[in-house]
Amino acid sequence: MTTIDPTLDLTLQRVIRAPRPAIWQAWTDPARLQRWWVPAPTIARVDRLDVRPGGAFVTTMSDDGETFVPHTDSIFLVVEPQVRLVFTNAIDSAWRPAVPTPVPMTAEVVFAEHPNGTDYRIIVRHGDPADRDRHEQLGFFDGWGSVTAALTELVERDATA
Amino acid sequence: MAKYDAIDGVFVALADPTRRAVIRRLGEGPASVGELAAPFEITLPSFMKHVRTLETSGLIRTRKSGRVRMCALNRERFAVIEDWLTEQRRLWEGRTDRLEQFVTDHQEDT
Repeated sequence: MTTIDPTLDLTLQRVIRAPRPAIWQAWTDPARLQRWWVPAPTIARVDRLDVRPGGAFVTTMSDDGETFVPHTDSIFLVVEPQVRLVFTNAIDSAWRPAVPTPVPMTAEVVFAEHPNGTDYRIIVRHGDPADRDRHEQLGFFDGWGSVTAALTELVERDATA
Repeated sequence: MAKYDAIDGVFVALADPTRRAVIRRLGEGPASVGELAAPFEITLPSFMKHVRTLETSGLIRTRKSGRVRMCALNRERFAVIEDWLTEQRRLWEGRTDRLEQFVTDHQEDT
């Protein structure tokens, strides 16, 4: 369950000089989360943050504060207060299997005690592109087909320019 | 978004057993379309579609030599996957920087 594939996954670890409850709150309180979720000047809006297994995690973002575009559409898989938070975009907030671009991911955030504050770890597991074979065979590949078409167009335009 | 289109193209190109087999074969050295198609029980036009997808993704380069089209791996393109992972790492690092800043600032307030 905690296997890491170094070619597809990333891990990061940091000691944050703040108590665990404060960091947990920054993740789970919508008003706090939107303060740091995306880099300024982009504005994040937390539309849904139902912090329990199966709960929705939906954010949108905006560059002008008027037009908001989809950003995060995930569900929580594991919620252990002040210990662990796991969410994935492989299933969207309506519990529909999703094929986010370029590959789906599962993010695990782990909070632990540290003499100087909190030992904060992130593990992001990315889907293997080869897993898409099945989608293609089942004919669920239209979305990707259009992406490829757009890429082809882009490449061909560049080639003739 | 051009960067994401590139990574999409590479991932789509790799998401097919025939195309992955072609990549593996080209890892041993350049080959003609005819040589590459030989192990597969598909028509040449269908096979050409795979070659074009690979070429479009930038993973291979093709060149006409007389009446034969030669294919070769474009190894630099494989760096796209690595670059993408580096970018994901930067994204999460940035997120952690902002979270850290936010919670430590907040602490000083209280």
